[in-house]
Amino acid sequence: MKRLLFYAIATFALLDQAGAEPIITLGASVQETGRLANTGRYYRDGYDFAVQTINDRGGVKIGGERYQLALKILDNQSDVNLSVRQYTQLLTQDKVNFLLGPFASDFALADSSASEKYEVPMIQGGGASDQIFSRGYKYIFGTLPVASKYFESTVQAMSKLEPVPKTVALLYADDAFDVAVAKGTRELLQSAGFKIAQDERYSSNSSDFSTLISQIKAAAPDAVLVAGHETEALNFIRQSKSLDFSPKLYSFTVGVPTADFRAALGRDGNFAFGMTSWLPSASQKDDYFSNAQLFAEGYKKRFGYEPDYHAASAVADVETFVKAIEAAGTLDPKKVRDAIARIDFESLYGHIQFSDVGQINLPQTVVQVYSDNVIPIYSQKGFVNKPRYPMPAWDKRP
Amino acid sequence: MSLLLQIVVNGILLGGLYALMALGLALVWGVLNIVNLAHGAFIMLGAYTSYYFFTLLHVDPFAALPLCMLTVFAFGFVLQRYVLNLIVRAPMFNTLLITFGVDVVLTYLAQIVFSADFRVVNPSYAGANFTLLGATIPLVRALAFAMAVALTLTVWLILGHTRLGRAVRACAQNLVAARLYGVEPRTVYALTFGMGAALAGAAGGLYGVVSQINPYIGDPLTAKSFAISIIGGLENPLGVVVGGLFLGILESLTSLYIGSTYTDVASFGVLVLVLITRPRGLLGKTT
Repeated sequence: MKRLLFYAIATFALLDQAGAEPIITLGASVQETGRLANTGRYYRDGYDFAVQTINDRGGVKIGGERYQLALKILDNQSDVNLSVRQYTQLLTQDKVNFLLGPFASDFALADSSASEKYEVPMIQGGGASDQIFSRGYKYIFGTLPVASKYFESTVQAMSKLEPVPKTVALLYADDAFDVAVAKGTRELLQSAGFKIAQDERYSSNSSDFSTLISQIKAAAPDAVLVAGHETEALNFIRQSKSLDFSPKLYSFTVGVPTADFRAALGRDGNFAFGMTSWLPSASQKDDYFSNAQLFAEGYKKRFGYEPDYHAASAVADVETFVKAIEAAGTLDPKKVRDAIARIDFESLYGHIQFSDVGQINLPQTVVQVYSDNVIPIYSQKGFVNKPRYPMPAWDKRP
Repeated sequence: MSLLLQIVVNGILLGGLYALMALGLALVWGVLNIVNLAHGAFIMLGAYTSYYFFTLLHVDPFAALPLCMLTVFAFGFVLQRYVLNLIVRAPMFNTLLITFGVDVVLTYLAQIVFSADFRVVNPSYAGANFTLLGATIPLVRALAFAMAVALTLTVWLILGHTRLGRAVRACAQNLVAARLYGVEPRTVYALTFGMGAALAGAAGGLYGVVSQINPYIGDPLTAKSFAISIIGGLENPLGVVVGGLFLGILESLTSLYIGSTYTDVASFGVLVLVLITRPRGLLGKTT
């Protein structure tokens, strides 16, 4: 009886296989829980949305055959060591075809060693640090713009403001991304002729900026540039208010464009500068989502919150794999890797093309928050809108 | 010179916040010998309680403090009475394990129920400040400092001068004798643990105003509270205030003179030093 059952199931399984479409599996270890989950979800949802949409539009075409994309996502609980083990598992046990990246430079830095060791390409949209791309690795590609150039548009905009800020305070957290940002920003500021009044590194575990703010307040710089993540930007602004510190301008690397930033700060978020490598404009065309604006609307409808550049970057990663696989005409990792290195196409995220070391080159648009709106201020073409500068003192704000 | 004054003031206020956070842990540890690794999770629960009272019912965070304390008290009481009571006289390792498990469960439940989005409690006076002797003093932190001192004094009074306090200390010193005197240990333990939880809830209630809330704030706060309890000493509730102040001022001065990135090195370095030279804490007896 058991033998009959076994043969019956085996037959059905074989019959089922005969009609199924072949699958390309993309594996990723993402922060679905843990302290980085707030941003990790953009990647999980971005990958999911991209794979679904691409499959709906016919999937991947290799030599006349159609392939469906599948995702295997593991939760690394915001633990770097676990994510490295998970990527190794995805490659050795689950035998996925290609890898998508995690969020955050610290993770991308460690996880790319797995992709390099097993010679399977990884495209990550979560790590911007130059350190990731300075080891001569061939199998890691990144769609976040170079960390050391994050403040480039901001510094350019600053040199065109009236009155020009003379002294600048530079604060940065001690993780891979922010250290890289600070290194590049120092050079940018010096070559633009700004005087760096304060150059301070702070622990990324600390949520208390009182002492730093008091020190900066005593030095009274015109502008403050903070390299940190979203929660640090939030804490900095709230504590600046409670210590009555208000420079002429402050700008933060991460956090300012997101909706929860504005929701958390309310009116206190006004006048803050930030940057984004992506805005959901209808003029940014895409082969699968039509354009960036439609993508943003579809994303919000599906997941219930607005996407930001993290999600767009994640989608771009999936699209890059599809284009590269189709260009290479094969699933061989080495050939696909070479196709990714040569890739050149327009997507909802921007122009996708990688430098020799594997990193994308996208300019940042300087944005400013006012009245719950994110207003683009300065892009490569110059001022798009007039910035609200200088920032009024806390008790004089409208 | 006024920068130094400002930094010291910052340190004192930070110390007040730290003391408020550590008070519950020190009480439960010093009296019941239970190291509650879920202490940070209770602070987190208190913070969410305050957040929802503020956002949904528009209750001011300070006014909601008694409600936060009551909510977390009830939670702690039930937890102790029915779960932790099973291991209260077991080896220390079991209490660590079980409270660690509670911590993990609470954190992940919070992620599921509240999501990982961070929340803040932003009453209109959140950024208010006043100037004293040339230093800018944030209003909320000054109030938190006052709360820390008030709560510590309350705990000290309860433990030293009320019937309940005597019952608690009796259970801790000699359980058999205490029972002979008619003390019901299970209820006493549960009440004490509940008090510790309520104090954590009070700290959480203010946490959302000075920082932001997400399900993962618990663990670093437990670690900090642990360090403060050891540095201040467990025998006297006032030790927590001393420990908190010491750590707050130390961190601020380290940040000013050495660099912000070394604050963790300084605080945990001091912890090691205290353990070596004065293991019973700054306020503990030396014999």
